[in-house]
Amino acid sequence: MADTNPTAVAKRRYIIALCGCMAAYAVILIPAIWLLSHDVVAGPLRYAVALAPAVPIVFVWLTILRYWATTDELERRVMLESLGVAGAITALLAATYGFLEGAGLPHLSAWWTWTVFMASWLVGRLIVQRFYE
Amino acid sequence: MKNRIKVLRAEHDWSQAEVADKLGVARQTVVALEAGKYAPSLPLAFKIGKLFGKTVEEIFDADSD
Repeated sequence: MADTNPTAVAKRRYIIALCGCMAAYAVILIPAIWLLSHDVVAGPLRYAVALAPAVPIVFVWLTILRYWATTDELERRVMLESLGVAGAITALLAATYGFLEGAGLPHLSAWWTWTVFMASWLVGRLIVQRFYE
Repeated sequence: MKNRIKVLRAEHDWSQAEVADKLGVARQTVVALEAGKYAPSLPLAFKIGKLFGKTVEEIFDADSD
């Protein structure tokens, strides 16, 4: 029999929706990279193609928001606190590296902030969760 | 926050999963509540009171942190 606990149902829906978003991301990203790298598109369409992979990422955050709204209060708290930890780590690293760029280190793409944020969200979650175990 | 949830749950012979289902929360939340690691919201505290037929004050020790 399927689990009818509302939190378990919310988590199941969250994982399914997240997998769908990631699959859509991969399906959009691969042709987008090909179109851009082979100079098939030009002008405003080139920007539209470059931005296309951002659409599933928007849906990732809508999925996270829906999960936050439907899960139980402790999970909500853990999610928010770990997002806070991730934001603090990312801001600290971004500012620190920004100062180091002034001292001559190479300029980095803004992409690394996304990677650091998502990685530190995971680390933050592992840390925060321990306080409630 | 200290509370009597574990004792009351044992009196009713309910598992943590059963209490979680009755309250509509995750089992991990019941674990955190019983361990005193998490102070519930007011609506959840009232729900817990209603589930065990007790007042909030009879279940939660307001003097503990």
